[in-house]
Amino acid sequence: MNSLFFYISEAVIGMKRSIVMMLISVITITISLFIFGVFLLISLNLNNIANSINSNLEIKVFLKETVTKTERSKFKQAILKLDHVKKVNYTSKNIAWKKFVKEYPHLNLDNLFENSPLPNSFTIGLDNNQYILNVVSNLKTFKSWVEKVSYGGIIAERMQKFSYYIKILGLILVIILTIATLFIVVNTIRLTIINRQNEINIMQLVGATNNFIKGPFIIEGILIGILGSLGAVIFLKIAYTFLIIKCNKILPYIPIVQNKLEINIILVSVILLGIILGILGALLSLSKALKRYSFNKVK
Amino acid sequence: MIKLKNISKYYQSNSLILNNINLTINKGEFVYLVGPSGAGKSTILNLLLKIEEPTSGELFIDGVSLLRLKDSKIPYLRRNIGVIFQDFKLLPKRTVFENIAFALRFYNYSRSRIRRQVYQVLDLVGLTTKLDCYPTELSGGEQQRICIARAIVNNPQILLADEPTGSLDPETSWEIMTLLSKINMRDTTVIVATHNRGIVDDIRKRVISINKGAIARDEEQGSYNS
Ligand SMILES: Nc1ncnc2c1ncn2[C@@H]1O[C@H](COP(=O)(O)OP(=O)(O)OP(=O)(O)O)[C@@H](O)[C@H]1O
Ligand SMILES: [Mg+2]
Repeated sequence: MNSLFFYISEAVIGMKRSIVMMLISVITITISLFIFGVFLLISLNLNNIANSINSNLEIKVFLKETVTKTERSKFKQAILKLDHVKKVNYTSKNIAWKKFVKEYPHLNLDNLFENSPLPNSFTIGLDNNQYILNVVSNLKTFKSWVEKVSYGGIIAERMQKFSYYIKILGLILVIILTIATLFIVVNTIRLTIINRQNEINIMQLVGATNNFIKGPFIIEGILIGILGSLGAVIFLKIAYTFLIIKCNKILPYIPIVQNKLEINIILVSVILLGIILGILGALLSLSKALKRYSFNKVK
Repeated sequence: MIKLKNISKYYQSNSLILNNINLTINKGEFVYLVGPSGAGKSTILNLLLKIEEPTSGELFIDGVSLLRLKDSKIPYLRRNIGVIFQDFKLLPKRTVFENIAFALRFYNYSRSRIRRQVYQVLDLVGLTTKLDCYPTELSGGEQQRICIARAIVNNPQILLADEPTGSLDPETSWEIMTLLSKINMRDTTVIVATHNRGIVDDIRKRVISINKGAIARDEEQGSYNS
């Protein structure tokens, strides 16, 4: 406990002595971790959008013109027997056309056709959308009745792919930023070490262990990491709150993630990464400094 | 007890710095290391602190072989050896108290114990009034006494002094040497490397004279010259 207090007070002294480098380090960590957090939030939201598309998916089976009423009810029974099918609704071609005309009033389609140009169809809901492709391929085997099977899966698939690429891009960027940040943190702490070379020499001569000498510098790294990541978290919170407000106004149908838990997990991981960066920076600069360092010999 | 057995030291340039030194110093002894500049006096002190390694030979402190001592154990060796430097090596941005307490920091002592021990050594060197001064506010002799206080604050068994009077006037030199004798009375082994002929001749102790890396003379109650 005594030595922890000592480490912290020594770390604060060290940071004060090289305040400019310290601030540069903190700001660099803030910027890097902010970008890291932005990528995490983007991929969280893309996944969320893909999921919400997926959960609203329906399969539409368009029936051939030749299908009779009895065949139709037979087919409906057959569909209901398929795995994961929860419900089947029939939409006649006339109702489908009325809906279509209503949805696109600006096209003035009202009196264009005497008979509906659309086919009869079944709308099928599943208990679990994971199996949507299996059900679709099963439906396609009813060749004599089925004109076409459609579902909105392609968009969701593309969404998921897009979010995957965003994650890869983010990962590459975060690795590059991490290396750059480490480089700056290492140099900041090395500056403190050089500032204190004399003290380190004397500490070693009076019998301080290497671990004892490292203590204040590791605390310094942790403090830099915490300050930097707190900055990043504050900016992320501000930016995300702003985004939620804007989005709700302009694009209300896009489901922005507002779940506190998921967002907090991201923020906590930003802080953890900051602390890890600080410790790693301290250890790297120490391994170099203590190795390179040789005693002030007695002359 | 300090024991050097067939110690030789040379650098890659094959110039022999120490040549087959055999030496035993008993617990509680007071020893002068004398000899011309470049003789190898400081090298012997560096070997004892394991700042340098001998090229050949064996070296023991209290029966422990320094050659076989692991790097991670070096700090514990040094906690048992106080060192006094000619250039003091005090930290300019820290007070006298902090400079001395520096040598006690890693013992996990309570604050009051640290205060007490620092005060005791300051009393011994006669500088209790300078507790809160910075080294730059002190004279050379006072700085050297602070350095001595730091070296002995944790009661080491051995005290090494390299030219402790090198930059001091004769009167202050006397004070410092009397102080070292006083510390020696507490059963601390004291080894002083010095060029100070007057003091060696006046405060008679064992004199080991080194010349060109070899022991030229080893005399109880010796003088600077034979
Ligand atoms: N790193 C080194 N490389 C080569 N030679 C060295 C090295 N360190 C010391 N020496 C040589 O070793 C010899 C002994 O040095 P040492 O410092 O022990 O002498 P000394 O007796 O303490 O002299 P002085 O009285 O001037 O302090 C000197 O000739 C010095 O030049
Ligand atoms: Mg010397």
